Amino acid sequence: MAYSNKVLDHYNHPRNVGSLDKSDEHVGTGMVGAPECGDVMKLQIKVNPETGIIDDAKFKTFGCGSAIASSSLATEWLKGKTVDEALAIKNTDIVNELALPPVKIHCSVLAEDAIKAAINDYKVKQGAEPLVQAH
Amino acid sequence: MSSLPADYFAVFGISPSLALDLPELQRQFYVLSKQFHPDRFARASAAEQQYALDFTSLLNDAWRVLRDPQARGEYLLKSNGFEAGDSRSNPPPSELLEEVFELNMALEELRHGDGEARGAIASALERFLAMREALDADRDALFVRYDANREPETLRQLRALLNRRRYIENLVRDAQQALS
Repeated sequence: MAYSNKVLDHYNHPRNVGSLDKSDEHVGTGMVGAPECGDVMKLQIKVNPETGIIDDAKFKTFGCGSAIASSSLATEWLKGKTVDEALAIKNTDIVNELALPPVKIHCSVLAEDAIKAAINDYKVKQGAEPLVQAH
Repeated sequence: MSSLPADYFAVFGISPSLALDLPELQRQFYVLSKQFHPDRFARASAAEQQYALDFTSLLNDAWRVLRDPQARGEYLLKSNGFEAGDSRSNPPPSELLEEVFELNMALEELRHGDGEARGAIASALERFLAMREALDADRDALFVRYDANREPETLRQLRALLNRRRYIENLVRDAQQALS
């Protein structure tokens, strides 16, 4: 299977790899995985308390090229967005941007779940109600 | 013309079960392969030729899945409505993800380390192999238990175990690659 150029670019030059301080009250951490392919993805956001905007986003993914590219792209998109705007990111947006083939769509789903899990963690830390999960 | 067997177990004439006698299954595979070999149907009717072809293809798929305990377990889970591949409706437990993430991190650090990291990777591999061996023993026990009680609870435990084993299998592969 051939990867698209955008997937290769994110795979070879992943953006925002790393981690943020998990214990920081303004940091939300999402850890998700897909046992069927052995992927595990950690995605973190740091929200500016003044503006409510996501200042920083980091990820670390162990998995295939598409999973790495999906989470790399997700962190790029997250920066500069409000939490609510971030919640509007859909896996189909990632599929379209990276031109993922049908067999790799689950990688984009994983990235969307990671975003939601990170935001959920952040909201819970802020004392808000947890999001209603898709599952 | 009879219709094709309904599932992989039926191909071998057995009811869905997990603790299989592999040598016996292999023997059956050879017998059936010979019996339905398309070459033997060269003079048969078009419908019979087609059946032999379809059966052989199904037989090969069935053998490939049933001979492998992981694939066999996942196949049976799926046919019982447990979507092993659907991580959305049943996300893996977070402790497992944390553990796998940490193991992956450690392996990556070792891999990028200097030559001295080899020993550390080798001992990590030993650990993963021991984990896999323990999981295999637990899996085989669950296989036997399921065949005896047919309880959904046993399948739930099996799904958790097989998910975990997939992760450990990947770690084994990564560690072996790093050492090769």
